Amino acid sequence: MTLAIILVILAALALIFILGITVSRSLQVSEGANLAGKIQPIDVAAFRNLIDPVEDDYLRRRLRPSEFRQVRRERLRAMAAYVQTAGRNAAILIRMGQSALSAADPRTSEAARQLVDNALLLRRNAAFALLRIYVALAWPNSGLAATPILHGYERLNGSAMLLGRLQNPAAPVRISATL
Amino acid sequence: MLQAHSLLWHYLWLAPNVLLLTLAFLIWKNGLQRTFPAFFAFALLNPLCQFALYIADVAPSITAENFWRIDWATLLIAGPLKFAVVAEIFARVFGSYDSLARLGRLLIRGVGIVLALAAALAAAYAAKDSLFEIIAGAHLLEQTIALITTGLLLFIFVFAAYFKLRPARPILGIALGLAISSCTHLAIWALAENAGLSPERRVILDFVGMASSHIAVLAWLYYLIVPRDVATKPVIPLPENNLDLWNRELERLVHQ
Repeated sequence: MTLAIILVILAALALIFILGITVSRSLQVSEGANLAGKIQPIDVAAFRNLIDPVEDDYLRRRLRPSEFRQVRRERLRAMAAYVQTAGRNAAILIRMGQSALSAADPRTSEAARQLVDNALLLRRNAAFALLRIYVALAWPNSGLAATPILHGYERLNGSAMLLGRLQNPAAPVRISATL
Repeated sequence: MLQAHSLLWHYLWLAPNVLLLTLAFLIWKNGLQRTFPAFFAFALLNPLCQFALYIADVAPSITAENFWRIDWATLLIAGPLKFAVVAEIFARVFGSYDSLARLGRLLIRGVGIVLALAAALAAAYAAKDSLFEIIAGAHLLEQTIALITTGLLLFIFVFAAYFKLRPARPILGIALGLAISSCTHLAIWALAENAGLSPERRVILDFVGMASSHIAVLAWLYYLIVPRDVATKPVIPLPENNLDLWNRELERLVHQ
């Protein structure tokens, strides 16, 4: 009987979750026009500085071990905030890119597909990077490679620019500024 | 009314399968069988299996033992077909994105292995509901198929939701209908196999299962046949954002 109860509860939760996702997906269609305003700017230079291993080596040499661990944790928390924002922006761009996938112009739809693919890669990398950052928070002396995030973000920037140029030739460069 | 061989019982067994065969015909007529080959095969073969089972149930010449043999045969056809439909859903949702396809394949294989182990454990610890091995075995096989299908579909929905991917309308409909049917049948077979219910209560479970199949078929018909309302999907303009915002952020950083 216990097994039956467990399986019934699991089945009910799975169904509620799947129906919830389906309904929320349908509702998202109507909020499409507000998506662009949800993109948060990211300071790529500052992020690059945060993940620079040379900076870490410098701090490690200059500070006492306990101070270094404290500073390193602060930097990791800042890094996590950047990565979370990048992941959220990628999610918004995925939704925007998907809306352009069915465009009549083949160049626009191809650019949209490219944007979605790059945004998916960034979101995937952001998830992995966050995992590594949280592990590094526990062991601040360990190395951390967040560079793929930065490269992914820069590539995403290029894809968004291309799609923007195709959709709105009058304002081709502005999208890169947002990112 | 909620009795075996009542009018409602006949309707709920036959109507979804007639509708599913109709859907298979419409899929073929619209040339969609090349896009969704696994679902087309499922829509064609599953109703035929169910009709065979229905005839076996109502025909007095067929013994109870032969009925359960036919039930086993239909399960052995329908089970792999359902897994093929799940694989098709996965390929359609993630296959066109290189960045996700490899990771997705890796994860779904892992989830599949875990689900198979969980299903084996659930079967091992199940209270045998029948003195007859053939009946208990059929129920366990139903539970196993439903558990694995539900788990795989849940994974696909969660994975797509995390990446904010919105599957195309037909594939969303196929996934939703199969999820409704699988989740309900998982609960039903778990109760049938483990809860020691009386025959009267089991008939009610039959009704719930048949009703969920009916809802699933209606969802498939709606998502695959009813044309999409284009006006509900406006074209989203890309970010009209600006260098000012970017510069403000840079200045704030510089002046910190």
